[in-house]
Amino acid sequence: MGKKMMRRIVSSFFSLVALVVMVFFLSRLTGDPAALFLPIDATQEMLDQFRELHGLNDPLIQQFGRYVWDVLHLDFGDSIRKARPAIDVVLESFTWTLQLALITIALVTALAITIGSVAAFRPGGLFDRFVSLVSLIGASAPDFWIAIVGIVVFSITLGWVPTSGTGTVWHWILPVAVLFIRPFGLILQVVRGSMLTAFGSAYVKTARAKGVGNRSIIFVHTLRNAMLPVITVIGDQAAAMLNGAVVVETIFGFPGVGKLMIDSILQRDFNVILAAIMVTALAIFVMNLLIDIAYTLLDPRLRT
Amino acid sequence: MKGKRLLLGLMMTASAAASAWAQEAKDITVVLDEEVDLVESCMATRSNIGRIILQNVSETLTELDVRNNKGLMPRLAEKWEEASPGTWRFHLRKDAKFSDGSAFDAGDVKHSIERAMSDKISCESPRYFGDTKLETKVVDDNTIDITATPAQPILPLLMTLVTIVPAETPIEFTREPIGTGPYKLTEWKAGQSITLTRRDDYWGSAPEVTKATYVFRADPSVRAAMVAAGEADIAPLISELDANDPEMDFSYPNSETFYMRLDHSIPPLNDKRVRQALNMALDRDAFIGTLLPKGAIKATAIVPPTTLGWNPDVKVAPYDPEGAKKLLAEAKADGVPVETPITIVGRTNNFPNVVEVLEAAQQMFEEVGFKTKLQMYEVAEFEKQYSKPYPEGRGPLLVAAQHDNARGDPVFSMYFKYDSNGRQSGIANPEVDKMIAEATAATGEARAADWKKLIAYLHDDVVADVLLFHMVGYARVNPRIDFTPTIATNSQLQLSEIRFK
Repeated sequence: MGKKMMRRIVSSFFSLVALVVMVFFLSRLTGDPAALFLPIDATQEMLDQFRELHGLNDPLIQQFGRYVWDVLHLDFGDSIRKARPAIDVVLESFTWTLQLALITIALVTALAITIGSVAAFRPGGLFDRFVSLVSLIGASAPDFWIAIVGIVVFSITLGWVPTSGTGTVWHWILPVAVLFIRPFGLILQVVRGSMLTAFGSAYVKTARAKGVGNRSIIFVHTLRNAMLPVITVIGDQAAAMLNGAVVVETIFGFPGVGKLMIDSILQRDFNVILAAIMVTALAIFVMNLLIDIAYTLLDPRLRT
Repeated sequence: MKGKRLLLGLMMTASAAASAWAQEAKDITVVLDEEVDLVESCMATRSNIGRIILQNVSETLTELDVRNNKGLMPRLAEKWEEASPGTWRFHLRKDAKFSDGSAFDAGDVKHSIERAMSDKISCESPRYFGDTKLETKVVDDNTIDITATPAQPILPLLMTLVTIVPAETPIEFTREPIGTGPYKLTEWKAGQSITLTRRDDYWGSAPEVTKATYVFRADPSVRAAMVAAGEADIAPLISELDANDPEMDFSYPNSETFYMRLDHSIPPLNDKRVRQALNMALDRDAFIGTLLPKGAIKATAIVPPTTLGWNPDVKVAPYDPEGAKKLLAEAKADGVPVETPITIVGRTNNFPNVVEVLEAAQQMFEEVGFKTKLQMYEVAEFEKQYSKPYPEGRGPLLVAAQHDNARGDPVFSMYFKYDSNGRQSGIANPEVDKMIAEATAATGEARAADWKKLIAYLHDDVVADVLLFHMVGYARVNPRIDFTPTIATNSQLQLSEIRFK
């Protein structure tokens, strides 16, 4: 297992390096940051000065060499737009995204597994049909629509929660709820399908024949075996959230890394783009390692 | 029963919490459309930064009053006069202090101007000065001479664009702006909010607002919802669609003028009759209240009506498709290639419905016999078509753009847009160049008259472009606030102008 992990770490490192090189050069193809930072009627002198100040007049390969050297010294450069270290800007945003992702994925996992397992126990029953309908609607409804409707109903009409922003626990309810709905629907369906397969297996029939209780059959015998595909989907969903939840961040004014990345790309703030990609890639890499560990714990065959 | 109690309890707690995110009596929350990257004084002419700090934290020597139409007013300078040709003497307030406690004097003004114009920092101010160089001489603590080369008769007006910082401010972007204004920046939570708190030691009268918190929401419906829910007091920019409550919503001229820049160097646009036909082909009234907001005003100049020298005698070209066809036929008979396809160049997301507006205009042009195609670009690509050097080998272009001038004087527009060397000019007309130079150098009533003459000449004699509309914006204001947005709201939001009902 140790060797496997080491191989994974080494290959992830090379992937990260390749990603950074690619993004460095591709982002430069999008154009000149001076044209976006300065007003549309900026003089040629202002444009030249700006490029000189930010080292944009140097040959691209020289800019890349300087960037690599700085990164090796843990200097990720300054944000052109914000005039402060790019890594500080990214880490501030990423902290918000991480909290949002962790809270949401924890809730999604707990509820989807519980409800999906119970629904699969009596397939075609009233509870199963209701849960399937709700989860399908959840998985297919657009985020921005749910968010706006949520604001109109719960903030403006009922006044229960604030429309947007951060500051209190109440501010988290709508963003987490909106972010929750789609992965909840998806994971619940996967749990249900996986559990249905497991319920049909010989070991469950044997357990039933021996008189084992329903609760024990679901949560002790079946769930563990049904979890492998579920963990894969949870991993995918968590990775998507760690990359930022752009719609939720935009509508609720949540200062996460998704919106930061989009804004940085639109504004050609190259250092922030690169720092954000490195931080999110690292987070996804750590998460994949955790999934590998979870796989190994759940399936003894993988430990060898 | 237990469940009901729990639900009731939760609802009561939510209601109690709701009061926690409501506003304190004299504190306000302003919800802006984009997060600010910098809160830097020398960038205060950038609208998203200006709405927070201009005249709230950072003040200028002079101030243009558009609310009461008083024109140029004193701010940190009590008075000014032209001491010698090209040199203006400013007499400064003696009672102003910076929020760090230091006294305001002429040395601060000198440093602020040098800092704003420095090539070590990318400030916005130099764009308004073009090739003009400024030299400063401190006469005494409260008097400073500013010399412009070449001479700038509107130097006092240009001083509305230079914010004053303490002489100790480094020549690099700062995140802690120190100013002489009625407020100081007390908190900046990156990505979340910025808070300004009223100063007790401000030199002027104390404003009513004690604290202002600025938050940022990209979605216009959320901004409108925040004011409706009582979480915010002012949303300076909401969409027309969301401006559906006459009690809270205001439309105001947003200082943008929408027009089509014509390239006079390329046939058939080099023919005046063709340019007139383009103007006559458009049914401008059909756009207002349909694709564009009701408050949009038909334009006869590149600058809005609140600008010095705006000419009320210039009339919008009549909608006359038959007349346009006749002019085109005349031009064609004289060998003008009127059938050459003309490209209409637009900018994506320039304003709501921009594509539909340009498609409708294209349809109207085609109805009188023009052959056109529409090409939309994102901002950077658009800029290549809009600013010199123009692309080599280009065909005839109509570049549809918005131009912003809330500065009160056409000088901020005319050179750029109409001088032969103007960066976004489509014409090269020596007479126009001469008129711009004369108006730029003139003062007082002569200046207003010169601009007036130029505006008429460009519109009626040169037919320089297809002027379309002075645009409007929408703001939502909480009914507890006494505040009416003006043309200045596009670039600044003075908290001292806000009262409570």
